Amino acid sequence: MNIDIHRLLDEAFLGIEMTPDAQDLKEEVRANLMARADELEAAGATPSDAAHQAVAELGDVRELLEETADAAPSRASDPYTALVQRHHVRPNPGFVVRAVVWSIVAVVGTTLAILGASGVIPLPLGPQIGLFGMASTGLALLVGDSLSQETTTNHPMPQNRAAGYFLATLLGAYGLGFVALVAFGSMPVWGIVFAALGVIASIILFSFLGATQTNRHKAWTRQLAAATPPNRFEREPETAARFGVYTAAIWLVTFAVIAVLVFTVGWWWAPIAFVGGCTLMMLLLARMMFAPEKKSDTPAR
Amino acid sequence: MTKDDAFAADLLRGHTDTIVLGVLRRGDAYGFEIYKAIRDATGGDYEIKEATLYATYRRLEKDGLVESYWGDESQGGRRKYYRITDAGRAVFGSNVAAWTATRRIIDSLLDVKESQQ
Repeated sequence: MNIDIHRLLDEAFLGIEMTPDAQDLKEEVRANLMARADELEAAGATPSDAAHQAVAELGDVRELLEETADAAPSRASDPYTALVQRHHVRPNPGFVVRAVVWSIVAVVGTTLAILGASGVIPLPLGPQIGLFGMASTGLALLVGDSLSQETTTNHPMPQNRAAGYFLATLLGAYGLGFVALVAFGSMPVWGIVFAALGVIASIILFSFLGATQTNRHKAWTRQLAAATPPNRFEREPETAARFGVYTAAIWLVTFAVIAVLVFTVGWWWAPIAFVGGCTLMMLLLARMMFAPEKKSDTPAR
Repeated sequence: MTKDDAFAADLLRGHTDTIVLGVLRRGDAYGFEIYKAIRDATGGDYEIKEATLYATYRRLEKDGLVESYWGDESQGGRRKYYRITDAGRAVFGSNVAAWTATRRIIDSLLDVKESQQ
């Protein structure tokens, strides 16, 4: 192992204030210098010469640190609107037109398919399936196309990943279309197999995409987010924990109510309980996250 | 360094960000690997200075185009690896498209014939 590197590196960083940033840079440089020195040694240089040459090639480390030091703070002081204005990205006119077309395709397809499935319009099963296919393709194109657009706050998503979201939406929406066909009775119960395949594949694909997703926010948005004070749940983890327990309780009761409704008055009442549970949770969230804070010196007992 | 070399090195330096993103598209790498990949690709004739590269990494990371993480080497220094993000891939794609378009314009303005190559 080359000892000279460490000594020369310490000399290069002499007189620099060891902020976490500078410490990081030093460690990064150290590993790179060692790799470069190993290479030079393999080519026949003595360890000492290799170390000196590697460090000499590096140049002045001070320049590196200065550059990043002035970049950040000047922006953070700008008000939000000025930042948005500076980074504003106009929507692409072609995209706006396409988005309208995809939406129309999705809405028209869904409407006709449901009218057909419920028997209002006499349509055989084949065209009904076709219409749901059209509707879910429209919806999926809308999702994929929107994700690959650059916006004021986000970088565009690469084509492949946007195509992944397209596929996931297509499968999920088509699966739900089959659910509707079976529910309206225009398709035999075995049609639920297609529904399940589509929805499950879509869930798997969405989970994969979600788990491998990296950040797309632009730098200025992230700096802004870093400057925003934390919300109540971040400041008070115990409140967040309480919210979690309440939420679990709400959903437990909701599912019990759903089960009761299904076995007594019929399954079509089940969504009522679901909506009720959802509303209750949102109210609880608003109450707990944004409630006016009690002064800590007057505990509510 | 001849005048030709200086011209080429200048052109190369103008595209450091895109070049680094291009190297990272092939897989995560730490500083020296990136440096070596660029040096090898140019046949060692023109190199991008290491200091320029460090500045590039920091800028790319600040813009969210790459992410970094520390390796777990037990021998010697710990390596700081860089990984390209989706935003990085998208920016790389649009930069390459811009480059292709610009190259066509410059080729036609400078009257470069394909057959000369």
